[in-house]
Amino acid sequence: MSRKKVLVVDDEVHIVHVVAIKLRNNDYEVISAENGAEAFELACSEKPDIIVTDFQMPVMTGLELVEKIRQCDAIKDVPVIMLTARSFAIEQQQQEDLQISQCLSKPFSPKELLENIEDILYHRAVVNSRV
Amino acid sequence: MVVLKSARNLYVIVTAIVAVSLLAVGLTEGLVSGTEEGGRFTGYVQRFPVAPVCCIVGAVGVIWLGWYWLKLVATITSIAKRLKTVDIMDSRFRGNDKRKASGNAVIDELSKALNEALVRYSNVIGELQKQINDLQIQVQLTQRQKANIESIIYSIHDALVVVDEFDRLLMANEVAGRLFNFNFKQSQHKRIAELMDEGEGNSEFVDFLRQSRQSKAQPTRREIEFVEDEKLKTFDCIVSCIYDESGQVCGIVGVLHDITRQKQIQQMKNDFVSHVCHELKTPLASISAYTEMLSDGEARDGKTRKEFYSVIQRQAERLNGLIENTLNISRIESGLIKVDKEPVSLTILIEEQLQMIKSYAEEKNIAFKDIGQSRVVFDQVYADKDMISQVIVNLLSNAVKYTPSGGSIKVEIEVDESADVARLSVADTGVGIPESEIEHVFDKFYRVAENKNQAKGTGLGLNLVKQIVEKVHNGRVFVTSKAGVGSTFGFELPLATREVVESLPAISRGQV
Repeated sequence: MSRKKVLVVDDEVHIVHVVAIKLRNNDYEVISAENGAEAFELACSEKPDIIVTDFQMPVMTGLELVEKIRQCDAIKDVPVIMLTARSFAIEQQQQEDLQISQCLSKPFSPKELLENIEDILYHRAVVNSRV
Repeated sequence: MVVLKSARNLYVIVTAIVAVSLLAVGLTEGLVSGTEEGGRFTGYVQRFPVAPVCCIVGAVGVIWLGWYWLKLVATITSIAKRLKTVDIMDSRFRGNDKRKASGNAVIDELSKALNEALVRYSNVIGELQKQINDLQIQVQLTQRQKANIESIIYSIHDALVVVDEFDRLLMANEVAGRLFNFNFKQSQHKRIAELMDEGEGNSEFVDFLRQSRQSKAQPTRREIEFVEDEKLKTFDCIVSCIYDESGQVCGIVGVLHDITRQKQIQQMKNDFVSHVCHELKTPLASISAYTEMLSDGEARDGKTRKEFYSVIQRQAERLNGLIENTLNISRIESGLIKVDKEPVSLTILIEEQLQMIKSYAEEKNIAFKDIGQSRVVFDQVYADKDMISQVIVNLLSNAVKYTPSGGSIKVEIEVDESADVARLSVADTGVGIPESEIEHVFDKFYRVAENKNQAKGTGLGLNLVKQIVEKVHNGRVFVTSKAGVGSTFGFELPLATREVVESLPAISRGQV
């Protein structure tokens, strides 16, 4: 079974670094970007299994990134986990419309993030096997 | 009155006596003459009886004169009665005057009464004239008070509108005229709904006035947005009913206070709280995540553990810096900050701070130009070294933050001896600032909307620069910018006098 690829997007390099270590320690392949525009290019070329993105970033925000991903046929079904330092930044309806799998509030636990990633990928695998 | 009655009775008696006497004499004379002619009255034909006729005519005349006199007395009595009824007659006419009245006495008394009445009337007229003068003074005072009230109302910066129970305009000041676009003098007594156009908020305000009048509500308030000078402004509208003596609403007073600025400040505060929370949470998130990783044994070798500890330390410092920035502004504003001024060289401070910012600039591939070339002989300012260092760091880090990769930053120091100031400027080739936003860049919590996505920030850095330079050091901040080309931020500080500098130990002057 091939390793799952995770795209981690945050302009805070320390956050990207700690998430990457956590995921690599648990046998994930990690690619990273510093802003939404860079992440979109990377997602199109690398086609990650899941994306973990910050909400507020320069150049292109996390929400703008997800909107763009949902409009791109090649990667429109990629699950997304949003990290946000603003508790009420994303409304429930907006989360559903953009099919954001999970929103985690900063400060977050790397362990909890890993559990969420595993859950989402597991359910996705189950659904795909039924299809 | 008694006198007049006595005079009348006396005349009746005297007239009667005279008339009867004359009649008796006449008749006696006539009878005597007729008898002398043989007991018949034939003598009357042959000889006309002159004396009796004269007596009779005299008696009749006396009776007529008496009647005429009585009538005259009655007329005078009537006049006296009328005068008495208006309380003008003297009390002597009402007393028990035993003096017998004669015609002259009555006229004399009457004349006196009339004179006194005229004096009384004259006094009354005088009183009335005085009252008229008082009233005229009152009118003038009232007019002056009205003018004062109008002056006060017209000088109020809030818009004020007064309408009657039919929503007709009674009063409005210039501010209201400007807001609703009408001229009060030409609009008085017109229905307010007809005076206002279909502009934003106008119909809502008219409805608000009407509802308040109908509900007879106590002062009520509502925030309404209007367009003034093509700008959307928010007004706090307070409407109060005017009641008449019977408690009925006879008008409405509306006061409209412009709260646009307060709303902007409130919005900036909200944005600030949001930004600060985000800024606080970011280092906190790193600290929390790295701590958890360490405790879970995810840092599997010594090098990684050391790196984790280092990250935690730096993020804690970042957190502290953010809190310090916020507190410093608060302290400066409240005047509680401790200021330790000394002569310091701007060139030395710049070089110290550049060392701190250098790695950040190198990460973004941004070059510093002309550093050291603009060194001047005497650039010492009398300032708090730590505070000015903070100012320089904020200006340099802003320049790096908003300059794209490959750009450059130029730092210059000038000394203007004629103005007795040292001037430091930091020019970048960054994103620049739109002209309309330049005047706000030093405002607290303000962030240029177009540049928000370029970098994170709280909108406190430049405000802190302004507070330190202008409030603490009596200097001046300045900015020039062009969107897409770059910005130049800087400040001027008063030069330290040479006498002060030379009197200090060498180490204080930066000579080691």
